[in-house]
Amino acid sequence: MRIPTVFTPELQKQYHVTGRMVAMAGGLLFAVSAYLPWAYTGAALDNMSYLGGPSTLQFLGLTLGLIVAWCAAMGWIEPWADRRGFARPLIRVSKRVGWTRGSKAMGIGLLAYIVLILVVIAIELRGLVAVEWGGWVALVAALMAFVGTRLLIAGRAPSLERVRSAAWVEIVAIALILLLALLLVAYALNQNDGGIFLSIIAFAGALSAFVLRSGIGAWISEAGQKHRTVLVFSSFLVAFLFPFTQNGSDANMSIATQVLVFAATAVGLNIVVGLAGLLDLGYIAFLGAGAFTAATLSESAFATINWKPPFIVVMLIAGLISASLGLLIGSPTLRVSGDYLAIVTLAFGEIFRITMNNLDGQSGPNLTHGSSGIPAIPNLELFGFDFGKPHVVFGITLGRFSNYFFLMLLIMAVIVLVFTRLNHSRIGRGWVAIREDEKAAEAMGVNVFGLKLLAFAGGAFLAGFAGAVKAHVDVSVIPDQYVFLESAFLLAAVVLGGMGTVIGVILGATLLKLLPEKLRFVSEYRMLLFGLLMVVMMRFRPEGMIPNQRRALEFHSDDEELVQEIEEDLPYEFAEEKS
Amino acid sequence: MAFFIDQLLNGLSLGALYALIAVGYTVVYGIVQLINFAHGEIFMIGAFGALSTWIVLGWATGGSTAWWNMPLMLVGGMLVAVLTAVVMERFAYRPLRNAPRLAPLITAIGISIFLQEFIRLFYGEIPGFPDAKAAIPFPQIEFFTGDAVDVGGQLINRGTFFIIAALVVCWAFLWWFVNKTATGRAMQAVSQDPDTSRLMGIDVDRIIVIAFAVGAALAAIAGVAHGVRFGNIDFKMGFLAGLKAFTAAVLGGIGNINGAVVGGLTLGLVESMAASYIPGQFGGAAWKDVWAFVLLILILVFRPQGLLGAKVVDRA
Amino acid sequence: MRNKKLLGGAVALLSASMLFAGCGSRSEPAASGSAGGAATKVAKIGVIAPLTGDLSVMGLGIKNSVDLAIRQANESNAIPGWKLELAAEDDTATPDVGANAATKLAADKDVVGVVGTLNSGVAQSVQPILNSANIVMVSPANTSPNLTQGADLANPKRTYPNYFRVCTTDSIQGPFAAQYLFESGVKKLAVVNDKKPYGQGLAEAVATKFKELGGEVVSNQTVNKDDDDFSTVIDLMKAKNPEVVYFGTEFQLAGPMSKQMKDKGLAVPLMGGDGIFDQKFVDLAGAKSNGDLATSVGAPIESLASGKSFVEAYKAAGFSDGFSAYGAYAYDAANAIIASLKKSLPSASDASSARQATIDGMAAVSFDGATGKVGFDEFGDAITKTLTVYEVQELKWVAKKTGELK
Repeated sequence: MRIPTVFTPELQKQYHVTGRMVAMAGGLLFAVSAYLPWAYTGAALDNMSYLGGPSTLQFLGLTLGLIVAWCAAMGWIEPWADRRGFARPLIRVSKRVGWTRGSKAMGIGLLAYIVLILVVIAIELRGLVAVEWGGWVALVAALMAFVGTRLLIAGRAPSLERVRSAAWVEIVAIALILLLALLLVAYALNQNDGGIFLSIIAFAGALSAFVLRSGIGAWISEAGQKHRTVLVFSSFLVAFLFPFTQNGSDANMSIATQVLVFAATAVGLNIVVGLAGLLDLGYIAFLGAGAFTAATLSESAFATINWKPPFIVVMLIAGLISASLGLLIGSPTLRVSGDYLAIVTLAFGEIFRITMNNLDGQSGPNLTHGSSGIPAIPNLELFGFDFGKPHVVFGITLGRFSNYFFLMLLIMAVIVLVFTRLNHSRIGRGWVAIREDEKAAEAMGVNVFGLKLLAFAGGAFLAGFAGAVKAHVDVSVIPDQYVFLESAFLLAAVVLGGMGTVIGVILGATLLKLLPEKLRFVSEYRMLLFGLLMVVMMRFRPEGMIPNQRRALEFHSDDEELVQEIEEDLPYEFAEEKS
Repeated sequence: MAFFIDQLLNGLSLGALYALIAVGYTVVYGIVQLINFAHGEIFMIGAFGALSTWIVLGWATGGSTAWWNMPLMLVGGMLVAVLTAVVMERFAYRPLRNAPRLAPLITAIGISIFLQEFIRLFYGEIPGFPDAKAAIPFPQIEFFTGDAVDVGGQLINRGTFFIIAALVVCWAFLWWFVNKTATGRAMQAVSQDPDTSRLMGIDVDRIIVIAFAVGAALAAIAGVAHGVRFGNIDFKMGFLAGLKAFTAAVLGGIGNINGAVVGGLTLGLVESMAASYIPGQFGGAAWKDVWAFVLLILILVFRPQGLLGAKVVDRA
Repeated sequence: MRNKKLLGGAVALLSASMLFAGCGSRSEPAASGSAGGAATKVAKIGVIAPLTGDLSVMGLGIKNSVDLAIRQANESNAIPGWKLELAAEDDTATPDVGANAATKLAADKDVVGVVGTLNSGVAQSVQPILNSANIVMVSPANTSPNLTQGADLANPKRTYPNYFRVCTTDSIQGPFAAQYLFESGVKKLAVVNDKKPYGQGLAEAVATKFKELGGEVVSNQTVNKDDDDFSTVIDLMKAKNPEVVYFGTEFQLAGPMSKQMKDKGLAVPLMGGDGIFDQKFVDLAGAKSNGDLATSVGAPIESLASGKSFVEAYKAAGFSDGFSAYGAYAYDAANAIIASLKKSLPSASDASSARQATIDGMAAVSFDGATGKVGFDEFGDAITKTLTVYEVQELKWVAKKTGELK
């Protein structure tokens, strides 16, 4: 199923000059069209019915249009300035930017953005007639930009990452990008209209496609690599600041807290699936085990165990119980492999759910109250800090969910730390070896059994941790929360985000939890789309949105460029051998 | 004693259902070493195909429940199931044939969810078809459903006869197909060594499609049997049944057709005996699925080749 | 160093565009926004129910029925100067999503009351959130007694003052069914439940009361909610020769159970609670379901003018889904909130300041709803103890006996 090439090299050779002009004109026209009315009435999206007063979404579109025009223009500006000797240092940098490739990505992005907006207008106002003339102008402009950029010759690959830049510039850039991301996320989350939310996602998608294709992304990631600690710390700082952007409302914080719980669990699963390559289809049981442990040991009047240790202890116990379940289910991995393991874990997940359902005093000892679960779990109180009460900091009220958000952020930090330390250690390389070729790994002296068990137990421990907090966030714990579908969701977060990377999985988890909350109009079709997405993703981009490079190679073993990149990144032990 | 025979029959009929589905897992696994996780949904689609056939027939006959509806329903169900399976193989699995094994498994989960949701959301949208968001009563075809039959003082459900007869017929057909036809022998060859078979002039792609189709046809029969035996069908009936059938396939030795049948019957018996004879709190229907899955885990750990021995595959 | 300017330019561009976005020269036209009566203020009634997934049949019935109540209130201008709106949130039958829905509604300043939830498990996580926001919550379907009376039922203590329900709890419906069976001469009863909170609570209440009355519970079984095959359970019951089988569950399982029982030769009536009182039960149970029994709250809907008019209005409103098992309760729940709003809203300056008064006003609510008398006791439970036993006759539910729990 290859898409046939319409814009062949011959065509490009012949028309690239025209293409550049059309693309520039399209981009500029699009920017102008932002000042025109796109919709007939103001009810659709964020009111695009004004002449001369663009709405926020139109402004975002304007930015995209200008970028296309600029990228296309750079094809002329750059050689011209070069000949005349203008701004030499700047031109030297510019030569390393993939303007043309970026403009191609942006051309697609622009078209997708406007088509999405017009479709949403048509849906919300019932019919395409509701699209005003400005909208059609924008569509024509986007089409021009798309066709024009397609006709360009891609030319040199960007190599911006080879530019040497001062540390402070890189750090400032990282900080700015994160700040921008925070503002965008905060703005997007405060939109209750699914259409606006979707449009902002499309905008972010177009922008990141441009950034990646033009080589700016490579420069940023290089900068990120160089200042890893800065990047990680400022990411957490930005996440920490997030509740302060909410004006004291808890509505988004409850979603954000659940996203964090889900993401933390998904990162735990990523140790098992992404690093060690063991497919676990019953992972939700470990989260459930943690939650049930915390619930039965809580102060809830429905708790069945009369021992009430402090929460820190409860958390450790929850982790340990989950980990021992992980060992229990992990031990068969010595004998079964691949698909069988997946089914064993799936069966284990079902056993867990049914057992929790049955420990109700009728079909077994009363531990969980069966399907009613354990309700009325009180709020946490750690070191005199009551998680149930709102707190006022710098004049901003932080509600109950913000408190839990901070706690989960802390746990997330621990989990990410564990994940990255493991990944870059002997253990992590051992896992990769097992994943690639178990027999070879064993022959090379890798302790296959021990490492597999460690993956299972470690992943389960982290999930148990998250589960213990989840019990208090959710107030009640019932078996029906821990069903196979949730395991599939977790797996999907790992697969969509990118196996073996932290940032990818966090992104995947965020999208999977956030989209259904924000896109209520597709919520009925949520599972359908989700199933389809898994199939399509496996077909066209099995390594996920932000893949681990070594992992990506498994799926694209014939990609020479990728092989080279990975060899360059090899840890020093291997590098020595190579030279 | 009568109670014991009842349990024996319950177990056998349940087991026969699992066996019919399990054959699909086993045939496909034997040839492409793929766990077609979405096979349970093919079983569900088969049942809905049969129901649709009956509804469409009803437009001409005014909802007749005469016995001759049954063969037509079976054919209708099989057609729909086979079509779904072939499309699935062509567009989702075939492109992934050389991908790491995680990829097709995740694809299978995706297909499984997609098919369930598709039926749930859109089946009722077809004019004249019932809403599939809740269980749908399966048509009561005369002779095949109705009061239990008295056989020497033992009341036996008509569905039990239907399902066991279906298994016997299908098993016999499979034996003939695999051992006596050229296609069947080609299937055996491919499952032993696909590369050599290709050199010998066997169209491996075609054989794989046939394997999917055979499994789907049997699953469709199982789907109809499910409707006849339990009186209703719903969009999520494939998940647990598929999982149990896979258990059965592994129990008997995956890749081995006789193993699937033996495994299915064993699993059915274990479930029904566990539910009726384990005393105390851990007995009864509430725990029977747990026992089935515990059995699966034990088999995988202690005898991964299954009761009758599996085709040895190592592609991990 | 070199890309300093480039970066600076990019930052300037972006910040400029942000600035534009922030203070665009968009002049709001003053008049066109409020087309209706200028003084109309908006108050919202929320719904938290599973609107997608397996249970969406019931959840959509709840949502539509609340919608109907709101439309009727707006048409009759029940609260002068105020317009009611529906704010429906999906809880997908899980507590965490339910909590999100509750937080979202609590953050909406216009929300004054919530109808929901369907599942007791979800109610447990929704209760505290709505309670801390002082939003009244009326459930059409939660049957767990713990929700109103706390963990220790022997010493009941109200846990959340904002929580009410219009449906009866297991502790009313169960004993009523047991009483009816015992009085009609049944001495040997088999009890089954589906291990869901509703079914299990109900079945336990029936068994306890039946034994108390002097009857014999010959078999107490459970099935899983995903089961299709009840053969073993039926055989186990058949061995004990019960006269009636009481199945605590909803129609999805009860219908097939009734059919399989009779196919297998256990030809005794199956009885259930209001969860099986649905025509779909008869469809699933098939031709031999005549004689099966169900209890439901209130007098028969046909005998109540309010009930009949609800059914007609629902049909006339043209919803694409039926009102299902809990639609009538949801309609009553919404009307109970509206009744309290009639007192609390007119004197309030905005919706959120009327929240506490709405909760306080609930105690005084009393009217004839679609399911019978609507009112609440000191725990927030429905006061009505009137129930009706229905029997399947000629494949239709027919009212058999209406009575009070003694």
